[in-house]
Amino acid sequence: MKITELAGRKRKMTGITNILQRVGFSPSGFILLVVLAVLPFIPPFSSEFILRWLIFGAFLAAQAVAFDLTAGYINVVNFGFAAILGLGAYTSAILANTSPYLIVQTGLTPWIGMFIGAIVAGFVGFILGFLTLRLRGLYAAIMAWFVGIAILGLARNLIKLTRGSLGLSPPSLLETSSNRPYFYIILTMMVAIYIICKIVTRSHYGLAFRALGQNIDAARASGINPTKYRVFNFTLSCFCAGLLGGFYAHYFVSLTPQAVMHTSKTVEVLAIAFIGGRGFLWGGILTAFPFVFFIEYLRSALPGLPGLHLVIYGVLMVLVMIYYPKGLAGFVVWAREKIKIYKEEKNGGF
Amino acid sequence: MAERINSNDKTKTRKPAKKRVFGKLKTRTSAWVVIAVTIGLAIVIGKVGGVAQVVNAVVSGGMWALLAVGLALILGVMNIPNFSHGESFMVGAYVAYFVFSPLYKYNLVSGSKFLFIVGPFIGFIAAALAGFILGIIIERLIFSPLRKRTRERWVMNAFLLTVGISFILTNGTNLVIGPNFRGIPRYWDVAPFSFLGVRLTVDRIVAFTIAVVSIAVLWFFLRRTKTGRAIRAVSQDESGADMVGINIQFIHTLTFGLGTSMASVAGACLLFMFQAYPTVGLKPLYFAWYVVMLVGLGNVSGAIVGGFIVAFLQAGTQQFIGVAWEEVVPTIVMMLVLIVAPSGIFGSEVKGIQEQ
Repeated sequence: MKITELAGRKRKMTGITNILQRVGFSPSGFILLVVLAVLPFIPPFSSEFILRWLIFGAFLAAQAVAFDLTAGYINVVNFGFAAILGLGAYTSAILANTSPYLIVQTGLTPWIGMFIGAIVAGFVGFILGFLTLRLRGLYAAIMAWFVGIAILGLARNLIKLTRGSLGLSPPSLLETSSNRPYFYIILTMMVAIYIICKIVTRSHYGLAFRALGQNIDAARASGINPTKYRVFNFTLSCFCAGLLGGFYAHYFVSLTPQAVMHTSKTVEVLAIAFIGGRGFLWGGILTAFPFVFFIEYLRSALPGLPGLHLVIYGVLMVLVMIYYPKGLAGFVVWAREKIKIYKEEKNGGF
Repeated sequence: MAERINSNDKTKTRKPAKKRVFGKLKTRTSAWVVIAVTIGLAIVIGKVGGVAQVVNAVVSGGMWALLAVGLALILGVMNIPNFSHGESFMVGAYVAYFVFSPLYKYNLVSGSKFLFIVGPFIGFIAAALAGFILGIIIERLIFSPLRKRTRERWVMNAFLLTVGISFILTNGTNLVIGPNFRGIPRYWDVAPFSFLGVRLTVDRIVAFTIAVVSIAVLWFFLRRTKTGRAIRAVSQDESGADMVGINIQFIHTLTFGLGTSMASVAGACLLFMFQAYPTVGLKPLYFAWYVVMLVGLGNVSGAIVGGFIVAFLQAGTQQFIGVAWEEVVPTIVMMLVLIVAPSGIFGSEVKGIQEQ
């Protein structure tokens, strides 16, 4: 409640809307989510082929939410995001390994391995944050990049543990060839990550995050301990990344350092999060799904131009950052306000 | 940060720290320690791996220094942490390749002695010009509009924009030119020199010389010419420089062009080592950032020393720990530096980074 009062937009909330608001959904957002949930049963989307796109979209969307928690709130860009995600994926995959050629042969079930991977990723995030977040944001960004490259190097070189560049082929999460169950798993993970992040950012922590992101000195002067809040934020984001990494490992069942941890993967997530809008969390979700469809369409329509979608990513990101920093979510909020004002005027409110 | 607040209490009238791009180095204890370690490392490498290793490290040190100087200059004057520096390197490599190889083919037919010697230099000059033009285009197209719109959170926004530029350039090159490797075995087809029992190819000697000469020219330009003085003035106090009638826009464009041009020259000179392909810039970018973070953000004079320090650390890693750990050791070194001397071993001189 505190935060709504402070933001000066106290609303009367009743019934189901109230519950939804508490977990961070507007009514229209919730409707979109329900549509997304029933989409795998509607014909064009129910084919396995398009289901894979949907799964990939949800995976990107969840990443964008976790990424936006640091980038949009405390204004620190985690440039090793893909590597942290890969760390979670590799931890889970190594623990699940049963092949006798590698050192570790625990054969742990992916369901537990995913969470261990997430904890490892969170721990690395904590250490990294603890070292760099005492300093200004740029140091954290560059150091995260360095750590990401180091993790990539380790994954490539510890051949006894990771099979190097050949990559691992971890067991799949479910014994089914259908993609539909996986879609619901990743959708649940996406919603869970979103709700956790939203609850955190709605508490007094969120207020502290925003203050730190806007002006760190002013925030410090008003008694906010920057290191504590920023490290907490960073750790949570890395934890979510590790969890998603676990899903990646056991869904795509192939894990190579270059395909998961490369800097360009971070940039893809960054582009989606930023086109979606910084500091809204749901902007990334809104962008990821249309984007995946657009890109897959582009890929099948113009097979002779590899990487065209990446160029479009980059150009869009640069344009959004210069001319419309609020992104898509900012536009939606603006449009909603406009419609509200228009309706009120029409009703003769003022 | 805590130290800073304490020191403020002690000396109430603290003079604002004078920022010098290309000033004298402030040597601190940490700097001396690192330099001593590097010299020790150089001696050990010389003993174990032979003089050749040391000479190679010096040559690559010159290149890292050239790259890092460009990066530090852009960071120091414009407060832009340039992530697309590696792409300037890539552009330089491509331009040198596309200028040099037709010349080389023509030369095989005509057999002109003059063109044989001069050909590579034409490639280098073309690369420098291409880098300069690229820098101007990027500055005018992207940073100039951003600067006019908002200076809020400038460092982070600029950083992310350069990330976007890097992404566009890499993938655009991949799209237009293709992912093929384009390289040359060597620029000059002459037998390698023998120096102190080390075989040195002409290419390496020329690359090192060009690095040294470029840095020296930049030093002369910044210290002795009117425009150079204006650049330093902008780096110290932008609004002050504006007030005395310096054209800020021109200085920014020029600085960015100079920085990218230096990276392009490095890319052209190292074409015999790094073949040209779309993501060739990643490793040079990594090392340039390593140098800049090590010596302190935006410290141009420090970057020169830092280039050699990093080269020797790299050589030491290859010699004693193994090539496989090449990516891990820098991270550990950086962690230590951030714990001991967060603003780099020579100290950071960029006001903007500290303010935001």
